[in-house]
Amino acid sequence: MAEQATQQAEQGAERTPQWAMAIDLDRCTGCEACVVACASENNVPTAGEDQAAMGRTKHWIRIDRYYEGEFPDIKVKYRPVMCQQCDEAPCEPVCPVNATYQNAEGLNVQIYNRCIGTRYCANNCPYTVRFFNWFAPEWAEPLNLQLNPDVSIRPSGVVEKCTFCAHKIKRAKLDADADGRDLADGDVQPACVQSCPAEAMVFGDMSDADSKVARQLGSGRAGQLLESLGTKPRVFYLEKAD
Amino acid sequence: MDRRNFVKLVGTASGGAVTGACGRQAEEIIPLLVPEESVPVGVEQWHPSVCGECSAACGTLARVMASEREIEVDGELVRQKIAAVKKLEGNPLDPVSGGRLCARGHASLQSLYNPDRLRSPMKRVGPRASGQFEAVSWDDAIAEAARALAAADPGRILFLARARGGVRSENIARFLDAIGAPPATSIGVGDFAAEREASTRVFGRSGLPLYEIQDSTLVLSIGADFLGGWASPVLYSRRYGHMRQGRRELRGRLIHAESRLSLTAWNADRWLPVWPGGELALALAIGQVLLSEQIADAPASVVSIFAGVDLEQAAAAAGVPVEAIRQTASELVQASAPVVVAGASMVRQNSADAVAAASALNWLLGCVGKPGGVIPPTETLSLPARQSAFSGDWPERLGQAAVVLVDGVNPAYNAPESQSALAGAETVISFSPFLDDTSAFADLILPDHDPLEQALLEVPAVSPAPSFAAAGEFVAPLYDSRPTATVLSQLAETAERPFEELTVGQAVSTLRSAVGSAGSETSASDFEAEVLRDGGWQGQPSGKPPATPDAVGAFEIASKQEGVVFQAYESPQFGSGSGANRPWLQELPDPTSSALWGLPVEVDPATAAGLGLANGDNVRIRSEHGALEAPVYVNPAAIPGVVSMALGQGHASYGRYASGRGANPMVVVGDARDERTGCPAMGPTPISIEKIAGGARLVQFSRQDRDLPPHRV
Repeated sequence: MAEQATQQAEQGAERTPQWAMAIDLDRCTGCEACVVACASENNVPTAGEDQAAMGRTKHWIRIDRYYEGEFPDIKVKYRPVMCQQCDEAPCEPVCPVNATYQNAEGLNVQIYNRCIGTRYCANNCPYTVRFFNWFAPEWAEPLNLQLNPDVSIRPSGVVEKCTFCAHKIKRAKLDADADGRDLADGDVQPACVQSCPAEAMVFGDMSDADSKVARQLGSGRAGQLLESLGTKPRVFYLEKAD
Repeated sequence: MDRRNFVKLVGTASGGAVTGACGRQAEEIIPLLVPEESVPVGVEQWHPSVCGECSAACGTLARVMASEREIEVDGELVRQKIAAVKKLEGNPLDPVSGGRLCARGHASLQSLYNPDRLRSPMKRVGPRASGQFEAVSWDDAIAEAARALAAADPGRILFLARARGGVRSENIARFLDAIGAPPATSIGVGDFAAEREASTRVFGRSGLPLYEIQDSTLVLSIGADFLGGWASPVLYSRRYGHMRQGRRELRGRLIHAESRLSLTAWNADRWLPVWPGGELALALAIGQVLLSEQIADAPASVVSIFAGVDLEQAAAAAGVPVEAIRQTASELVQASAPVVVAGASMVRQNSADAVAAASALNWLLGCVGKPGGVIPPTETLSLPARQSAFSGDWPERLGQAAVVLVDGVNPAYNAPESQSALAGAETVISFSPFLDDTSAFADLILPDHDPLEQALLEVPAVSPAPSFAAAGEFVAPLYDSRPTATVLSQLAETAERPFEELTVGQAVSTLRSAVGSAGSETSASDFEAEVLRDGGWQGQPSGKPPATPDAVGAFEIASKQEGVVFQAYESPQFGSGSGANRPWLQELPDPTSSALWGLPVEVDPATAAGLGLANGDNVRIRSEHGALEAPVYVNPAAIPGVVSMALGQGHASYGRYASGRGANPMVVVGDARDERTGCPAMGPTPISIEKIAGGARLVQFSRQDRDLPPHRV
């Protein structure tokens, strides 16, 4: 997909952006600002204590944290994990109704109204970033006033996940169109990226060699989560430099 | 929202309410089968505001869109079109947030729309703390409160407020001046009393120093969890990111000394686990070693505090091996731009001294006022924005007060021993928007607007430049609440002791005169409009050379406590406990334990094994002050013998999401205080611990503490 886009650019055709994210683990502090920013941006409902005890919380983005070593030589390894927007996504071929597919810009798109809730996709995701709605979400009034009208409320019986803030990509395109210009690097900032206090996350078009994300991928520290599975994620982690 | 877009936006923005939605994309109808990317986007406006969650006072932007709610009019439900805040982000023009925001800042939206907000003034009709209130009119509430104030001896009026500088605190000061009452005091939670006192001694000026860690090559932080909530977490996270990866070919290093593996310790290249209360001994020990190295010409007053330190004794009191102390000192000496960040995220009985000694290390390193070093507090802004100072004798004054007024603090939760005084006070008046632990004791609750519903001007606790964050009004109040400054003005007027209420506009005008804009072509109204449009103002750093200290003081090293001790701490999401009524934060995994909807007692593996404890078992913890019961998390990173618990849960009253959930660690900590400032300590407290049957459950987001190999990256 990325190669194809690069070819398009070389041939002078209008380039289709290839969205990717780089997360610098040397900057990330594990503060979870991204987690709340995502919930706020994307109308991610809270499950409550009882459902949480059954493992039914929805965190489109989470901080995985693991202890390594023993006291006093103990370290914490952590990383933000969201849908990795894989080029070879294990979730896609198992969906019997094509509710999830990769679009031309590299996003794993989820069509909620097409989803029939088999949960095959969630079971097949090695990153456990897909969430099934056992119940319709509820917000005690007036918490419903916080809901973002740009993002749909997912009904019960469907699977939901991180979209790379697809609605913000759309808004950035509309704004660029209104200004009569092309999308510029940095125009699109998913909620997690926008929020990150340590500026650990970068989002952009990896087929544009001048984009910040493309430069970070070439930094020599970039790798992918569970790379050996061959899922080809669009989320890249820059390893700590220590 | 990035800087470029916000600057463009504010250039064309028209203030006021949102006038429509989905105009640009009205021709698009959402078909049944559409991917998320095709859903039309609505019309939005961005208005500057100020985050009130902690004293960092980050400048924010509120995303406002048209919305509607159901209200009852004459017994019928009708739909009302309103402008609603949809999201909060950092204001890119603000020098503190720089366009970023922390988890608590984002979740402050759930204060505005919290279903448990009080809808009107309330009057107590049952016993104190019973939660029995009835709604009353503002006229009746103000008349009753004014009667109580008029009847009281002004010297026995006690105003408990947050230690913030801004228009709100100035109005509180004016109100108290008008009625002849003593100045307001904070309760010593989240106001850095120890750090301010230490700064007066070490840098000659009270306030929080600014640490230039973004330009440092080695940061040693002692007791300051600056990534987890201390002082200004967004500002220091931004600077930390730059220190690590913002410079070509130069990656700064971090050594962190604290008695728990906090968020800052997570990120450190090396963690020095200090015994609680041993921070002073550690700072003195490092200073002692530095003295023997080739170091900068430090003031004699500073050299003297380290000269007579017995290294072995200090290391033993700190619980840190001598070799680790020597290595740390050696690295500091070798670093081209070292700095020591000194703080008391967990206040101890010797915290002011510990912070002073750690701050003084910067004189030994020659990094005071240098790039990558520490900038002492500068002079305050020329603003009428008196800050409510901390007065260590507030618990005693509370016990003798005739009228207690409470604004923005929760003594019944953060200092549980104050409950008996609150129960016995003649009159308690609260300005809380919620029926919380303290307002449950009130005779009258006069609910404040949410910060997003009122004009604000707040001075940040620490900023790269003299600055403040400000906001105008942009959404209508949801309920029959009133801004506290206005209520104070009405109270004073009813008591026939009126004062002139300071508005944000007047405060900005004063600043304009002071900074010399008066003679320029910018009119007063334009200047105010610019400030409100940008969400604040910032000047130039003074660049004044730091004053060398005359006397920092003499320090005594207490020996390490034996036995199992307990410490409470402020967690990144709940702060001092105020975040507990936001569902987003309740469902945010606790960084240490991964707990949701509750906080466990953290016990080290050896102690847990000795008691036969596993994750989720319940324990009873007793000290001479009190007892609590809570589930256990066996923390692989806990110092053996140090039991920790985050503040946040254990509210007797704080709405549906927080009330009656979990335990309050301050019950066990008791009323120990920092000896110099009187600031409430958070341990170490000797405890006994026993396993009990049953009890609350431990709900964890992830029950897995160790990764499964192999894990690439």
